[in-house]
Amino acid sequence: MYGSQFDGGAAFSGGGFMPSQTTQAADPSFSSSKNREIQSLLPLTVKQIKEAFLLSDDKSNFTIDGVDVNNVTLVGMVCNRTGRITDVTFILDDGTGRIECNKWVQELVDSNEVEGILDGMYVRIHGHLKGFMGKRTLNVFSIRPITDFNEIASHFIDCIYVHLYNTRLRKLQGGVTTQQQMANSTSTPMKGSPAAPPHQFSGQYNVGQKNIEQMVLDFLQLPSSNADEKGVHCDVIARQLRVSMDKLMSSIQNLVEEGLIYSTTDDFHFKSTING
Amino acid sequence: MDTSSPTVFVNPELLPMYVGRKVRAVVQVTQSDGEIKTGKSTDERQLIIKGLPQVPLMTHVGVIGIAESEQSLHAETWTNFGNTFDTQSYNQVCQLANGEFKGLFL
Repeated sequence: MYGSQFDGGAAFSGGGFMPSQTTQAADPSFSSSKNREIQSLLPLTVKQIKEAFLLSDDKSNFTIDGVDVNNVTLVGMVCNRTGRITDVTFILDDGTGRIECNKWVQELVDSNEVEGILDGMYVRIHGHLKGFMGKRTLNVFSIRPITDFNEIASHFIDCIYVHLYNTRLRKLQGGVTTQQQMANSTSTPMKGSPAAPPHQFSGQYNVGQKNIEQMVLDFLQLPSSNADEKGVHCDVIARQLRVSMDKLMSSIQNLVEEGLIYSTTDDFHFKSTING
Repeated sequence: MDTSSPTVFVNPELLPMYVGRKVRAVVQVTQSDGEIKTGKSTDERQLIIKGLPQVPLMTHVGVIGIAESEQSLHAETWTNFGNTFDTQSYNQVCQLANGEFKGLFL
């Protein structure tokens, strides 16, 4: 079942921005982004940064739209540039607000990078968000002047897109996992994909063998399926998912062989091994 | 960190809402009359910009300044955006930034 999958984690291992966990046949974009191993790059406006929620006061653990903020990218105009021997400080004004930025200059490549950056220039910045005593600043990794000014519009469209994506993901997860969250009082990330897509999305999947297996697995991972110790009868599964018994039984067979579900009181009742 | 004076992305359609405030707009300069430049904005309407130095005609210019009236603004800073600027995308950004996604920008 996994042989034909493209293993993104193995192919791009070592990079910080690719998903570090392999997910099953389902669309990887539905996996939870709360896993602390994943560090994503977020395009943001200064306004969003200002409104980011700080998880704890002693560390710089911000969240925006429910996603951990680590590396960010911004586009804006440089103001108040001050160059010192070891670093360069400036204010970035992107039209939604201003944020203080700092770039450490240690090697020749760094000083070459900042040499051409002047006040009034539009630049693209990649950096890490830091907070100290309520003040938010940016530790800049990379700065370059903008040459094609369509990049400004493009960046803001990016910010809007990512914001929409993350807020929609949150709604999806919030609807399904509220009961699970009450049961799991700690906030440790769950193995596999904790957010089973709700049934209104099952229409999107093509009815292929692999996808029936995924549908069965998702269904069995729902809190309602796990409420009963006996699990769920395969008739119920077939009815709910609207698949034929033949296809269902062969999917169930595969899932049992993989160790993802197991039969309980008889050969017709099944439960998921993950959230059981 | 100062967010007390965000400069709004506007086109002439939205300009009336921000008279007296600092705004950003992009215009394509079509006419030059000394200190006063007339330009075509991203939504095909006319905009009058005061305080711009000599700029080549037909280039796109990003202007930041105070909106003086519903159709004019007084420029404080400006940037030459060149000839390959996509006005339609920018116009859409203005509408989204002032409409559905105002919370991300203002």
